[in-house]
Amino acid sequence: MQLIVTAISKAYASVQAVKHVSFQINSGEIFALLGPNGAGKSSIIRMLVGMTQPDSGSIMVSYQQQHFDHVPRRLLGYLPEDRGLYPDKSIEKNLLYLARLHGLSKASAMQEMAHWLAVFDLTERRHDELKQLSKGNQQKVQLIAAVLHQPALVILDEPFSGLDPINQEKVVLFLQQLKAKGMTVILSAHQMAMVEKLADHMLLMAQGQVVLAGTLQQIQQQSQPLRQMKVGFNSSVTVSQLQQLPAINGVEPLQANHFMLTLADEVGVADCLKQLMPLAELTQVEMQTADLHQLYLAAMTKQQPEVAA
Amino acid sequence: MISRQSLIVAHWEFLRFFKWKQQLISYLLMICVMGAIALWSYFTDESRQTYRIAVPVELTLANTEQFQFQRPSINVADQLAQMRTDDSWHAVVTEDQGQLIVHTLTGKKWLTQLESVLQQHYRQQTAAKMGLNAEQLNQLEQPVTISTRYLDESYKGKDTPEKMIAMGALILLFVGLTTAFGQVLTSITGEKQQRVTEQLTAIVTPQQWMDGKVLGHSFSALKAMLTSGLVMLLVYTVVSVFAKKAVDLSWLNISVVLWLIPFALLGIVLCASFMGAIAASIDDPNNSGKSAVMMITWLPMVFTFLVIDSPAGWGMTLLSFIPLTSFAAMPVKMAMVTVPWWQPVLSVLLLLATVYWMRRVAGRVFLRGMQMYGKEPSWGEIVRWALSNKTE
Repeated sequence: MQLIVTAISKAYASVQAVKHVSFQINSGEIFALLGPNGAGKSSIIRMLVGMTQPDSGSIMVSYQQQHFDHVPRRLLGYLPEDRGLYPDKSIEKNLLYLARLHGLSKASAMQEMAHWLAVFDLTERRHDELKQLSKGNQQKVQLIAAVLHQPALVILDEPFSGLDPINQEKVVLFLQQLKAKGMTVILSAHQMAMVEKLADHMLLMAQGQVVLAGTLQQIQQQSQPLRQMKVGFNSSVTVSQLQQLPAINGVEPLQANHFMLTLADEVGVADCLKQLMPLAELTQVEMQTADLHQLYLAAMTKQQPEVAA
Repeated sequence: MISRQSLIVAHWEFLRFFKWKQQLISYLLMICVMGAIALWSYFTDESRQTYRIAVPVELTLANTEQFQFQRPSINVADQLAQMRTDDSWHAVVTEDQGQLIVHTLTGKKWLTQLESVLQQHYRQQTAAKMGLNAEQLNQLEQPVTISTRYLDESYKGKDTPEKMIAMGALILLFVGLTTAFGQVLTSITGEKQQRVTEQLTAIVTPQQWMDGKVLGHSFSALKAMLTSGLVMLLVYTVVSVFAKKAVDLSWLNISVVLWLIPFALLGIVLCASFMGAIAASIDDPNNSGKSAVMMITWLPMVFTFLVIDSPAGWGMTLLSFIPLTSFAAMPVKMAMVTVPWWQPVLSVLLLLATVYWMRRVAGRVFLRGMQMYGKEPSWGEIVRWALSNKTE
């Protein structure tokens, strides 16, 4: 499935939730929507799901030589941000009901259910009422509900929230399995480390607008929030010596005679090295690449200084 | 046309509030309650006992199955004193200036029967003094029989079995609507609070969802009506058996009962759609006054009840054609007067069209209400949505 979103906007009363947002998702990709609370991620998701319509712009979907101006419900699997199922019904009854609504026969639903319950170690508990499960297990049931009918597009709004690190890793594996099955996945999340592992493309948003977009490498190239360099010397160098150098903005001591240096704006690596060499012989020079978390914080600092603070 | 998804939702909703175990327990409880009432009534029935009543020498009273009238050899003061200490005497009757006085320890139900026997005796004594014979006295005691003959041949009569059927139909509709009221409100607002709604609306359209809800709860209401009807028949049968009468169901007018089915079904669907629309606009049932509006659906029964004694009058005629009230009024009218065939047919068609419109309204209100995200719409907004054409 290919999804092309062109300049969509959405306002609620006086609040402009989404402003001219465009992106494209190719078949079998994992696409991440990132941004602080209120950035407009859920508003975009609700438009994709069809719960609301964009005030302007378009959503185009191509699937098996067919074209649609919305995401057809039959092709969609959805995990809403505000999630919940029927607490006084068993896992099996909840899942069977949703699968039947998706058009699955009882036999196919049971077969799919058995597979996914095994993936999440819930087979033994399939007859338990949902209210008897922990929050993490309820979340897993909800994830299963979103993919039971093997949709072409899965939209997961904050799939990692409320999960412990072990279960977060399980969800990462789950998403990788979806990708391996050829499903296109859109997820919104705050867990940058998870997104970094999974997402083929991502969209960083703030105040309803796109801040950064592309692959992780493309985003790293687009923004250079922190230019950091790890250096080591063969003899003693003090922090104050390094702080006095004009090419250096910040110094963080590591192990003996090793430091993490933040370069001053518009200073080249060569200029910096020239200033470092007179202090002592350099035994290590390593440029640091900003991870997604740092890129995110830097981008948000530019857009919303108070949010990042 | 009802979609497959709507039928799945309807099936789910019907079973959601239908649990075999609870149903059987409630029926069992109902039978136990009825049994307890019957047993209590049997064991506390004082009419089956025999009472010793002391009467003065001047009174000549024949004994009955319930009362033994005796003239004691001791004086009245001693009799009264004796009555306080043992239960050999149940009452002492004295006469004072033509007035009979019954002395007894405390109020008892059998005293009413004793008073009746004494009054009968007193009347016979008075009649004897006046020189009346038993037949003349009997004629005086008979009330005047007044019968009414109606010129309108279509009117089946006032206190006829048909009126009982009509009253039964209204009671059953009330039971059905009360069931639907509770279930629709709980189901829709509960799903909102349990956050299921957003998940479901990504799978089915708001109209399919609302159709399923309305249908599921309408069937629940019909099931409640059916079981209540059967319980009413069971009570009738049990009472007949206890009263040692033959169980006679010949008064059941099958034609009216058959017409009641489409009217009840459409009426319940209409009201459930209205309730669904209101419930869909409620965000938090604990802090919303809108749920009380759902009780408007009881008005058709109340209005019909108020004109039940004039089934051919303009009030009943009007109610039997207005689609919002016809489901209650037309079966009642049909039970009590003979109506031309086209009247119920026209009434059903008008009702059917209104049901179609109301379910669309409910779907629209649900769709737009869902987009409010936690904010409850105003009445003005609900009316605007109801009149708009947007369903997706």
